[in-house]
Amino acid sequence: MTEASGQLARVLLASPGERGALPRCSQALQGLGVGLSLEVVRDAEACARALSVGSAQLLVLDAGCASGEAAEMLEQARRVGMPVVIAALDSGPLELAYWRAQPVAACALTPSELAVAVRDSLESAARAPVSEPLPSSAGILRSLNAALLVADAEGCIFHCSDLAAAALATSTQALLGKPISEILESAPHDEHPLWRSLDEGESFEGEESVLLRADGRRIAVGISCAPLVGEGGRRGGVVAIFKELRESRRMRGDVLQREKMASIGQLAAGVAHEINNPMGFIHANLAQLAEYVVDLRQVWSRVEALQAAALEGDGARVRDTARDLATVSEELDIAYVLSDLAKAIRESQEGSERVRHIVQDLREFSHPDSGEIEATDINQCLDSTTNIVWPMMKHLVELKKNYADLPPVPAYPMQLKQVVMNLLVNAYQAIEQRVGRSGETGTIEVETRVTPEGVEIRVSDDGVGISPEHRERIFEPFFTTKKVGTGMGLGLSTSFKIVERLGGRLSVESEEHVGTRMTLLLPIESIRVAPAG
Amino acid sequence: MSADAPLLLIVDDEPRILSALRRSLRREPYQVVAVESFREAFGVLESHSVALLLSDHKMPGKTGLQFLAEVAERHPRVVRILITGWMESIPQEEIDPVGLWAVIDKPWDDAELKATLRAALEGRHAQPAAGSEDGSPGLPLQPSRPLR
Repeated sequence: MTEASGQLARVLLASPGERGALPRCSQALQGLGVGLSLEVVRDAEACARALSVGSAQLLVLDAGCASGEAAEMLEQARRVGMPVVIAALDSGPLELAYWRAQPVAACALTPSELAVAVRDSLESAARAPVSEPLPSSAGILRSLNAALLVADAEGCIFHCSDLAAAALATSTQALLGKPISEILESAPHDEHPLWRSLDEGESFEGEESVLLRADGRRIAVGISCAPLVGEGGRRGGVVAIFKELRESRRMRGDVLQREKMASIGQLAAGVAHEINNPMGFIHANLAQLAEYVVDLRQVWSRVEALQAAALEGDGARVRDTARDLATVSEELDIAYVLSDLAKAIRESQEGSERVRHIVQDLREFSHPDSGEIEATDINQCLDSTTNIVWPMMKHLVELKKNYADLPPVPAYPMQLKQVVMNLLVNAYQAIEQRVGRSGETGTIEVETRVTPEGVEIRVSDDGVGISPEHRERIFEPFFTTKKVGTGMGLGLSTSFKIVERLGGRLSVESEEHVGTRMTLLLPIESIRVAPAG
Repeated sequence: MSADAPLLLIVDDEPRILSALRRSLRREPYQVVAVESFREAFGVLESHSVALLLSDHKMPGKTGLQFLAEVAERHPRVVRILITGWMESIPQEEIDPVGLWAVIDKPWDDAELKATLRAALEGRHAQPAAGSEDGSPGLPLQPSRPLR
């Protein structure tokens, strides 16, 4: 800000006054050819006051200032980014060394040096890029690197960013003026965050939700939206920023976790039933064993009486008690009690062994991955998974396993089990849909084999099959034909990603009313490990 | 247990459950016949006069409830009781039309089981109308668990 801009450069001159070099300094500065408005400040306090009024272009610091004051003013200058020139007109060599060590623009030893330093300093400040006026809100919006949508009180889109249009597979022109219902599913969408912001004035941050692209595909998004507040605080629309979920690792993790929990819920039902049966008979057997103990106590008390009588040599009492013992034993059917007691214990042991196995299977199945790719025994992964899924499906399904001898395959075992579980649960549900309550059963076949490309896992079912128009969409996130509560439609898309990360392939063959075969190919070597994100 | 004691037919695909149920009912006044399939159960129903029928729900092929519905049609005088560890998963509207005396939870409580069976048997005698036109055995006197 020099003369050219019509403004005087504001320069603060910090000096203790006559004791210092004030007259010589001001004289030197006034002799400059540059227009400046000089303000003398006596101490740090005054300097701070001067700076609080407005910024200054330069601080000239008289080295005659008390060192504490000087240090404080240097600090003030540093804080506001104001250059400092030291007027060290009377300084000795030691003092000079001190000033030169400070972060200052220049250190002048004579009035003429001071004049030069001040002029240079002001000129270089003037050469610095002149800050432009702040961009308009429109410019800021244009530059915003986010998918932004704004709709009016009627829910019509009146602003959207290029990124928003791109995410919805359309153009901004096409979106403008459209009602937001066009980007929402036809399902009841008054629950959608966009509507709730618009109608109820609610705000959301990173809410998981689904938007509909122009081509009819659903995309999973994290959406932050809030009512648009107009002049006078009146609500008049909604402003939203969204992001496709696949781009956000953290969010994806959350959603996957939910999906996992959904399938675990289904499995838990099967496993609970499997544990409940043995628990049922163990429970009943224990109650019976307790009764047997009471019976045996009665017998034992006669045995003791008999023993006492025998030791006393009382023949008549021995006969009586022996008769009593025989009567009681017969009444209580002790022969049966003794044989059944052993049987009840044996059966209960079998039951508890079964429960132990189920728990072992669960532990094996849920054993977390080390986080590293491991040489994995695929057949064992399949067994561990079928063990878990089996209880859920055994009433409707015959399971055939056909395993080849496989080399170890690099994989994340837990993730692989999750994929196989998804495939098995899908196969089961397809059979369930086909047979309904007809009393028929279906068949699931799990096969492994080695191909030139790697190890192949095939899960085939004779369920309802997948219609051609659904077939190409089954790997899309959130695509589901299942009824609410049986899955979020992430099973196969998740599986697909997991398999892709291992450099493998997941493919589908299906015919309606005939069945479906899912084929999972895992390379044995040279995995291309895509970044986990 | 005399030969003319009422016949209790139990169906469960888990032999250990059958064994434990027999054990629980050892001193009860029934002749217990236990079978592992619906097919066998129909065989017994056709050839014997069955008083009480206790069926597991989760069975291969079809559910116990479906089986009991068929029994209600073909042998309406048989008092029908479902035993299941899975009652929550059965919709009430499926239970209602079958006309069950009671639904017993698995694992069962011995005393409760015995009481329910006895009440069912008494109810059957006390109410000759049990197994009326619609095959319903009438209201349970003391169901082990209220039918929601």
